[in-house]
Amino acid sequence: MPGPTAKDIHHALRIDESRCNGCVECTKACPAKAIRVRGGVARVLPERCIDCGECFRVCPRRAIIPVTTTYMDLTRFKYKVVLPSPALYSQFGPNTMPEDILQALLLLGFDYAYDKAYTCELVFSDVKKFIEENYSGDPFISPVCPAVTRLIQLMFPDLTDLILPFRAPREIAAKAIKSDVHKRLGIEESEIGVIHITPCLAKLAAMANPPTEEKSFLDGAVGISEVYGSLLGALKDSKAEKRDQPLHRSSGTGINFGRSGGEVAALGIEASLAVSGVKETFNILKAVERGKLRDIKYLECQICPGGCIGGPLTVQNRYIASNTISSLVKLFGRKLKVEEMTDLEEYDRNYFRLASKIRPQAIPALDTDTSIAIGKMRLREQISRALPGKNCGACGAPDCKTLADDIVRGLASIEDCIFVKSGLAGGRIAELKGIRKR
Amino acid sequence: MKDKIVLSQGFEIQGADFVRGGEASCQIVEALRDLAFPPEIVRRAGIASYEMEMNMVLYADHGMLSLTVTPDAIMIFADDQGQGIPDIELAMQNGYSTATQEIREMGFGAGMGLSNIKKNSDKMQITSTVGEGTKVHIVIEANGARSNS
Repeated sequence: MPGPTAKDIHHALRIDESRCNGCVECTKACPAKAIRVRGGVARVLPERCIDCGECFRVCPRRAIIPVTTTYMDLTRFKYKVVLPSPALYSQFGPNTMPEDILQALLLLGFDYAYDKAYTCELVFSDVKKFIEENYSGDPFISPVCPAVTRLIQLMFPDLTDLILPFRAPREIAAKAIKSDVHKRLGIEESEIGVIHITPCLAKLAAMANPPTEEKSFLDGAVGISEVYGSLLGALKDSKAEKRDQPLHRSSGTGINFGRSGGEVAALGIEASLAVSGVKETFNILKAVERGKLRDIKYLECQICPGGCIGGPLTVQNRYIASNTISSLVKLFGRKLKVEEMTDLEEYDRNYFRLASKIRPQAIPALDTDTSIAIGKMRLREQISRALPGKNCGACGAPDCKTLADDIVRGLASIEDCIFVKSGLAGGRIAELKGIRKR
Repeated sequence: MKDKIVLSQGFEIQGADFVRGGEASCQIVEALRDLAFPPEIVRRAGIASYEMEMNMVLYADHGMLSLTVTPDAIMIFADDQGQGIPDIELAMQNGYSTATQEIREMGFGAGMGLSNIKKNSDKMQITSTVGEGTKVHIVIEANGARSNS
């Protein structure tokens, strides 16, 4: 779709055209209706994609490829820090401790492994204070899942003001790591690379395309599934290794951020809700839009079912993963480690809060001029009525309604419909062709 | 002369249909977004139309929710056949409701419906005949506040 910003939006997936055969699975699975099949291959409309990864999950030919950081990208850094999502702790069963995993990451060639779960605990102790002081009738929406943030920017533009004005814990951690390493080892911040181990595509995209104008402190991201094999090998060695410094600092509360409900549990605010999954997130945001959540102070939304443990780049079955988290939460307890920690100098608490607002990035209206837009909408309704309504997807759009929308936006033509083309669409098409000529 | 360009859409509402209740106002919101109305206007229209729609689902046998749009204003009209409102002035007060216990248990009937509609519209007109039905007409002005993004 031609748009002034389309070029500037970077997404975390690309389509391997040699594998894509133009089937319509991804166009149908996309909750944002951001994929069309054109010229026999799937194409992503960058300004509509929310990076949820649903297309990646359903593609039967593995033609949707996450664009992650390669080893070569990392060689430019003098000092490499790995920052795994707490969801990583859920992937190896209840007998593998977070410490084992962090140590195993060092064996893969990182200079330091940082426990992000700890940052989550720390940030959310401030979030709790913020909500208690600032709640005024509308729920604050979690800023953690970047796909949810983008979904709100695009499809619920009037709710962007409700997104909690905090930076995501991964960004806060990345900044803290850089200033800490610089202070301790004298390495320039530009020579320190912070690499996120991610369960999803959304965090990859958010690095290149942050929700506000400011730039990300992360330097790369690698999917859990990409490091899983080598981590399994390294884990055997890491368990036997002698450790000079413990890397795992979080309590069960921080580890719990890997799954849906983790934020709500950390806040301990009774009037809060945790929702996960694309459809469920859509529905709850609709409810917010209608003013139905006025008694709720905090709304945690995660685009993946079950939270980050259900991410498209995870390996473990998410129910098993959730069970592992339950075991770890029990083992490490819910009492925040943050309260007993004294080494918080690396954190600049002022940085927790966003400096600029998250702005809507609404899908363009039919026309900026309402009069013209009204005309286009009437035409769209006529086209919609004339199309067969079978939603076969053969035109390349996910359904007839979307094809009608594409047609009035000048992105498709009515002959893209195979029923129209083969003369099987019925009498209304003739009527429509008359309108189009005029 | 611009006012001649009009879009009209109608949605049939079935009383007590809680499964589909709310769909019409969703479609209204989508349409207004496509028509380049600014988010605040869309939000107000969304809340008001949702309350109008749910009032029909809760209290009427059936009804019609209609949207009329000109470049300068959004008009929403709810016309139902149902129990009607005996005392409109009373019904407009915050917290006043005739909702049954069952309706309240579903999270509706807090007595904010009509006042919410009023709060989110620029003009509101309501007429009702007990035993026949209720008509609610609202206007949201969109003058000058059009966004270009």
